[in-house]
Amino acid sequence: MKVQDLMVPIRDFLKPDSTLREAVNLLKTAARGEQRVGVMGLPVFDNSGKLVGMLSMTDILRAVYPSYMSMMNLGDFAWDGMLESLAAQARDKKVGEFMSRDVVTVNENEPLMECVDLILKKRVTRMPVLDKEGKVVGMVYLRDIFFAITKAMLGEDNGGVK
Amino acid sequence: MIQEVAATSGQILMGPKFWIATAIFLLAYGLIIWDRIHKTILAIFGAALLIVIGIVTQEEAFSSMDIGVDWNVIFLLVSMMVIINIMKPTGVFEYIAIKSAKVAKGEPFMIMAIFSTVTAVVSAFLDNVTTVLLIAPVTLLICQALELDVVPFLITEAIASNIGGTATLIGDPPNIMIASKAQLDFMSFVYHLTPVIIVVLIAYIISIKFIFGKKMVVKEELRQRVMDMDEREAIKDPVLLRKSLAVLAVTMTGFVVHGMLHLQPATIALFGAGLLLLVSGIKDPHHVLAEAEWSSLFFFIGLFIIIGAVVKVGLIKWMSIKVLELTHGNLFGTSMIVLWFSAFASAFIDNIPYVATMNPLIIDMAKQLWPNLSGVELLHHPDLMPMWWSLALGACLGGNGTAIGASANVIVVGMAEKMGKPISFRKFMLYGMPLMIESVIICMIYVWLRYYILKV
Repeated sequence: MKVQDLMVPIRDFLKPDSTLREAVNLLKTAARGEQRVGVMGLPVFDNSGKLVGMLSMTDILRAVYPSYMSMMNLGDFAWDGMLESLAAQARDKKVGEFMSRDVVTVNENEPLMECVDLILKKRVTRMPVLDKEGKVVGMVYLRDIFFAITKAMLGEDNGGVK
Repeated sequence: MIQEVAATSGQILMGPKFWIATAIFLLAYGLIIWDRIHKTILAIFGAALLIVIGIVTQEEAFSSMDIGVDWNVIFLLVSMMVIINIMKPTGVFEYIAIKSAKVAKGEPFMIMAIFSTVTAVVSAFLDNVTTVLLIAPVTLLICQALELDVVPFLITEAIASNIGGTATLIGDPPNIMIASKAQLDFMSFVYHLTPVIIVVLIAYIISIKFIFGKKMVVKEELRQRVMDMDEREAIKDPVLLRKSLAVLAVTMTGFVVHGMLHLQPATIALFGAGLLLLVSGIKDPHHVLAEAEWSSLFFFIGLFIIIGAVVKVGLIKWMSIKVLELTHGNLFGTSMIVLWFSAFASAFIDNIPYVATMNPLIIDMAKQLWPNLSGVELLHHPDLMPMWWSLALGACLGGNGTAIGASANVIVVGMAEKMGKPISFRKFMLYGMPLMIESVIICMIYVWLRYYILKV
């Protein structure tokens, strides 16, 4: 199987100048392909349709996490309501500020092992899929790779489950 | 040895080597000020170039006491960095800062005053940048809890760290460099600089009370957030903490007595670092060693070689003659010029290359004034001592003038920007410059009174 057999079309995406409020709302409702399974991250396209980044739930966490807390061990001194007030302060910030700009992509004609290689080496869980011209044609997710592995391991006998 | 190469009886041979070394020196300093290429890269390349073209030999650069790398400075710095890197994960610095905020009962100005004082005291023993990196994150947390503007707190802490760093031999790199070249021990700095720095710090706290004290008020329920913090939770490794504090005590005692033991401060610090590495139970030292600020250390190494070259060719001697001509050999006038010129120079340029240049200049000046003396007799001539103290006070305190004057300032400006509260160059200067001038005026009165009137 190749990447193109596994990829799902992109239905939801963000723009760099979308606000985080719009982003979390879309993340909440976005679905992956035909299945009603939620996504943990969305691609970001600029107005010309060029892929410029990815915004994941981790990036949203980072947007509300104050930079000073990463510099020292201050987790013990957080107070009740801190997260909520910082989240409220961050809601009008732009996606472009918090998205990951180094997007790991994979070509649609590559074998699936390339996805495994990228997932393990680059620590990503989802990747935009490009065609020969470099145009984004879909997304491939860790979960779908897992299903491909499942299928190969269990074969036709469905893992001995009768 | 230097005289043989450069000149005899006050004449300086201005041959091609003189001009080449001078050109490389000026170009390197110019590019450092221009700040487009990293200063460490410039220092390393400039130093290597001077050796390659034969202005100084490798042996001179690496091993000469007069014109080579000052390993005393390098080993003292790297050893202190290692000690701090081992101590950091124990949580002691978080503990001190949270405790301070609670001692201040969450009152904004009290927090500012206590944080500034703690910063100054810690800075007297640790590098200023390290101190600010340890206190500023907690300050940001406390200000967020109290819903206060963090900018005044960050500015006052940066300034306090530069003030505190001036108090001791190990507090600020210029002092380490001066101590090494002038062969001054830890207790000399305590005896000559600590008293005036205490006065400067008290004046500073009073000043910030007038500048910021009125504006800050905090609601009771927010203050409760700070009072609810339990500083004991900060301590992550009590065993390592006890070991670290014991080693720190040994090291500090070592600094106090190093003059009597005829050991260099670098030896004391290296012993402390070695001892802590040994007792800490660290399996692989790679991590704590790698975390030392190698970029700063190599900046020093390169800089020492570049300065060594212009000392060797006689440029510094020529400059010292010019300074003496300018002041007609009036040493009181010279020390006042050194104090104020150092302060304003350090407000705009890095005080490390500045002091690296001034050290040999003062030594050359002393050689002109007392040609029959040498060694400690020359370096510690009673009329020369105020010059060293003026240089230390001016160069360390001058950094408070602008946002780029000291590394600690650059750090807090960067942090403020990350928090979405940028501090403009003008804004920093608005507070920094008057406070710097105030501190230098106090030092001026001190130097004049102590060394020229009371003569103690």
